[in-house]
Amino acid sequence: MKVYKIKFAETNKIKRVFKLLLEVRLYSGLEKYVQGAKYGKPMKVEMPDGTTGRQLLDKLGIPQEQVFSILVNGTHRDRDEVMEDGDRVALFPPVGGG
Amino acid sequence: MSKIIRVNMTTKKVNIEEVPEKYVGLGGRALTSQVILDEVPPTCHPLGPKNKLVFAPGLLSGTNAPSSGRLSVGGKSPLTGGIKEANAGGITSQKMASLGIKAIIVEGKAEKGTYILRVTADDVELIPADDLAGKGTYELTAILKERYNEKAGVICIGPAGEMKMQSAGITNNDPEGNSSRYAGRGGLGAVMGSKGLKAIVVECDKAFDAPVKDKERFKTAAKKFAQILASHPVTGEGLPKFGTNVLMNIINEAGTLPTRNFSRGRFEGASEVSGEKLAEVATQRGGKATHACHPGCVMRCSNVYPMPDGKVCAPIEYETAWCFGPNLEISDLDVVAKLNYICNDVGLDTIEAGCTLGVLMEAGVLPFGDGEAAIKALEEVGKGTPLGRIIGAGAAVAGKVYGVTRVPAVKGQGIPAYDPRSCKGNGVTYATTPMGADHTAGYAVTANILKVGGYVDPNKEEGQIELSRNLQIATAAVDATGLCLFVAFAVLDNEEGLPTIVEMINAQYGTNLTVDDVTALGQQILKNEREFNKKAGFTKADDRLPEFFYEEELEPHNTKFELKEELDEVFNF
Repeated sequence: MKVYKIKFAETNKIKRVFKLLLEVRLYSGLEKYVQGAKYGKPMKVEMPDGTTGRQLLDKLGIPQEQVFSILVNGTHRDRDEVMEDGDRVALFPPVGGG
Repeated sequence: MSKIIRVNMTTKKVNIEEVPEKYVGLGGRALTSQVILDEVPPTCHPLGPKNKLVFAPGLLSGTNAPSSGRLSVGGKSPLTGGIKEANAGGITSQKMASLGIKAIIVEGKAEKGTYILRVTADDVELIPADDLAGKGTYELTAILKERYNEKAGVICIGPAGEMKMQSAGITNNDPEGNSSRYAGRGGLGAVMGSKGLKAIVVECDKAFDAPVKDKERFKTAAKKFAQILASHPVTGEGLPKFGTNVLMNIINEAGTLPTRNFSRGRFEGASEVSGEKLAEVATQRGGKATHACHPGCVMRCSNVYPMPDGKVCAPIEYETAWCFGPNLEISDLDVVAKLNYICNDVGLDTIEAGCTLGVLMEAGVLPFGDGEAAIKALEEVGKGTPLGRIIGAGAAVAGKVYGVTRVPAVKGQGIPAYDPRSCKGNGVTYATTPMGADHTAGYAVTANILKVGGYVDPNKEEGQIELSRNLQIATAAVDATGLCLFVAFAVLDNEEGLPTIVEMINAQYGTNLTVDDVTALGQQILKNEREFNKKAGFTKADDRLPEFFYEEELEPHNTKFELKEELDEVFNF
């Protein structure tokens, strides 16, 4: 699995920095924004403590308006909610069917 | 002029009737369920002469209202023993409506022989067709188009229907002639087979010729409705891009994808049979990732999947990809396509076939994950062998034959692609809809998983009863219009949606309906269907999920289904 190391400039100011390792999956066209990503293929993404969905999208370079659903461990989350170490994160554009 | 065609298979007489005043404002499911309640004894044998089969275009079918070409087929279901409306896309509904046909009612039962019904603008004729007995639907459709009219819509059954298997469906063709647009559920194909009717050929070159009273007013409303669909993220972007199978990954991530005969909520191979994969492979092989099942559809959620053997499966829908994929632990889309194609050709409901194979795998008759074994087993259906007949009889029967306790079925009908323990709103719908387990009857996946029409936590009980109730009422009404149910994604989120549908109906028929009348129509349809089922012997005990959903936890959310008596509140209107 490819590990994406992403640093926050502002978090470097804090002495003790906790890191989160997230397991991220992109779907339904969102994968095109991240080099080397394939739909459904898990990517390990390292983020600073206190990271929100919004910050994760910014760091991955996915436009906010393209993402309709953020599922964390199988549950819908608001994009300003904070993530935790080891979370399984899935990102989706609008989807539907039946 | 609007008319009802009544075909008596016992006497071989065809009558053209005026539409009774009572039925003028009804179409689609509203009409099929009303006729069944009015004319079919609820306790009759579904395969006997007293059952009837009703084909009805929706109220808006045959107009240029976007995505309005749905066909309703009604009868007493041999699978559930209750009332059934099965709903299909394809091109025939618009042709029927363009010929002014409000409904075709097939009654009685031919003592012997195979017949087809030929419908043209000038004539309706019942024709002996013993030479077509036993034909698969693809070949049959090609023969009938060549014999009568290349542009015809062909409604037909395959050998499964002729053998009166209780999960046989009724199909019709798409614009390219693929006989793959199924009124699949509930075994209405067996009812058609029991009557000796193999096909209905509807000849009409026009798709948009249904009479409209106020054409200008209609045009304005239809245009507005098209804009409402185009501007919603699901109907305007999501569905047109990847089709219904785009759901595979989100349902998997949400942990409610029934895997290994409903024993887990996630499948590691899900993305291998998802809409993304389908689009990739279909495009590579010269197929289509997006396709309209009938003229005038703006959502174009269908697809064309070329198979390795040179044949084409069009479409592979989400429910089918799920039931032959994760449900059987199969992660090969070519195997899924093959199983889908066999069902289309032999004339079997894919969801029921997938649920049944899952039960047979649970029983150890064939191994989970073994695609070749699944194909071989499904091929038995067309041969009418004992195993083939068990598969054609559906999940509940297969469970009884092999002594399986984990049988996903309500009222005898197999449960579709959302586990009720982690998509509880759909659990309420499966348990209570008069149709037997049917995801389309009140598609709570919207608010539970897709965040359309609000949000109700899928793992909690709160709000699910009300959610399912409102969706069941709205769905019944939509099924009366001939609009594809998928318009609901946009209508639920746009307050101008429903008024615009009402405006189209008023412009077409010169009526003065309001939004409240539409709600009342939805409620009346459900009341009719419940009344039929009650008279057929259904009780509250039939409005429950199978025991294992209450007893076994589903990973990854470790949820059980808890609602029991509360389910009796769904129809408290």
